[in-house]
Amino acid sequence: MKGAMNGLKLAWTVYRKEITDALRDRRTLLTVLVSSVMMGPLVLVAISVLVASLESRAELREVVVEGIENAPSLKNFFERQTYTVKAAPAGYEAQLRSATLADPVVVVPKDFEAALLRGEAPIVEIVSDSANQRSLAGASRVQRLLAGFSRERVMLTLALRGVAGDVLEPVQVEDRDLASTQTRATQITGMLPYFVMMAVLYGALNAALDTTAGERERGSLEPLLANPLERWVLVAGKWGAVATVGMLIAVLSSFSFLPGQWVLRSDTLAAMFQYGTREALWFLVVLLPFAAAVSALLMAVAIRCKTFKEAQASATVVMLGASLLPLINVFSLGSDSPWYLWVPALAQNVLMTRVLKGEDFNAMQIGVPLAVCVAVATAGVWFVARTLRGAAVR
Amino acid sequence: MIRIEQLAKQFPAPGTGRGLFKRGRPGVPVQAVADVNLHAPDGQITGLLGPNGAGKTTTLRMLAGLIAPDAGRLTVDGIDVTARPREALARMGVLSDARGLYPRLTARENIVYYGRLQGMDLDAAQARAEALAQMLDMKPLLERRTEGFSQGERMKTALARALVHDPANIVLDEPTNGLDVLATRALRESLRWLRTPAGGAKCIVFSTHIMQEVERLCDSVVLVSHGRTVATGTVAELLAQTGQTDFEEAFVALAFAPDGAAQ
Repeated sequence: MKGAMNGLKLAWTVYRKEITDALRDRRTLLTVLVSSVMMGPLVLVAISVLVASLESRAELREVVVEGIENAPSLKNFFERQTYTVKAAPAGYEAQLRSATLADPVVVVPKDFEAALLRGEAPIVEIVSDSANQRSLAGASRVQRLLAGFSRERVMLTLALRGVAGDVLEPVQVEDRDLASTQTRATQITGMLPYFVMMAVLYGALNAALDTTAGERERGSLEPLLANPLERWVLVAGKWGAVATVGMLIAVLSSFSFLPGQWVLRSDTLAAMFQYGTREALWFLVVLLPFAAAVSALLMAVAIRCKTFKEAQASATVVMLGASLLPLINVFSLGSDSPWYLWVPALAQNVLMTRVLKGEDFNAMQIGVPLAVCVAVATAGVWFVARTLRGAAVR
Repeated sequence: MIRIEQLAKQFPAPGTGRGLFKRGRPGVPVQAVADVNLHAPDGQITGLLGPNGAGKTTTLRMLAGLIAPDAGRLTVDGIDVTARPREALARMGVLSDARGLYPRLTARENIVYYGRLQGMDLDAAQARAEALAQMLDMKPLLERRTEGFSQGERMKTALARALVHDPANIVLDEPTNGLDVLATRALRESLRWLRTPAGGAKCIVFSTHIMQEVERLCDSVVLVSHGRTVATGTVAELLAQTGQTDFEEAFVALAFAPDGAAQ
């Protein structure tokens, strides 16, 4: 008992030194903070600017037409729908390709009115570029507008012949979207959990490498082991410090979305993206065990390496795994499979996506990833403790 | 008091280790230490002298509990290093071959950290850091981060770090490596003082491949070559044993003699 207490006291000493050491590495910390913690909010703002520009375009009620002088009836219809008709600029095709023109262009043929009267169904083109997102978004709006024009013509023709317009619609179709507001929002905000996890990984990476491979490279591991410490004490202190740095980044990045939300430019998005303190806390429930596990894993990989550089190369495998696994969730179109919960990184992504969707967890969904994280952390710490002595002299 | 008896250690040949990616034809196992014997009493400086690759560093690493010996016995004040490594380490100050410091910590923080790891409380470790800085003439260095320290400054910090818990036994692996004349002299003075009753009558084991160091400093010499202790005694005794007047000649005669000739 006294030995264990003493061990904890020594582990605390190691922990405090490692934390001081890690926090004094200002340049690395700053890079991590700027590149990973700021990343999520910046992306959020970028998305909101895009959505806002789409919205404002829809609010403008403008339609760009080439050859409107050929179609007075169409112009009349547009104006009755309170749309402003703008003439297409010269070379609009090139402008659409280079995305300098944000609206689709309606092309009216020369003999539009005459063909319409003869009942020959003149061809009206809607020109957009599927690589030009903004024009594509406008295209469906213009399509609906033109369909309205056609329907009106049909109604008028039928009415003249004494037929009720209802015969054209024997079936009424109505959309009913079951997705909650938050679920729809995840289509846009789905990558946020990914950014948060990357931030945690990169936060822990440097500290993990520094306390293992860094010690070997500096030649400070051998003298360190000449102190009368049990190895688990030493490793526990080091792991605690690395995990703390990872958790610190997790806290910072989870809460960084709160101010990010205030600057959302789009009202619709702000309404859909409901991320408050409650969501941030749920993120932490998911992320803190992950930070602890990933720290131990990175240390276990790095302790085998003689230099920091070599360890960085080895750690790439972990980083790659952690960045590819969540993609299974991002790209899977069906529902989540139960085995997702057993895969680190993937499970965290699934859970954080659920948080953003406003869905609840059951005990299994929290318990399984937590158990996996505890297992990974224990295995990592055990491996480092076992390897430490051999690593010092090789 | 440090005692090493019939110590042996063989390293597996490169390429025969476990693991998925180990390849290549197995080489020959390396017998780093075959039969090293050493007795270092308190209040004396014992030199572990030998050419490069004689097994000095491996021997001292086994003494520090970093490598498990294949055979033989290592005791520190009667405590078996293999059986009770932490008790033995608490009685030893080890300046190993690798003497890396933490560059983002100050010299004082480096020293105090080791004091805390040795189980000292903060005040005692701080006081000890001050006292050692006085002894090693490194007071101005204490509050500086060790990043950018010169070889001599690093060496002093590492030595202070090893001595922070005031150990009865001091083990130094080639401490003068990379030091200039003045720093070497200062180190020699410190070690002489530590040997005296006023300095604590420490048991000091000192490995080197430099004859002059041994002549100037050591009370007795243990000469190792090819992993074996080939001669033991004072400098004068070794000179007499070989019939030489120059210690370098005596060293060459003993260390590079055909096997068995010197024994």
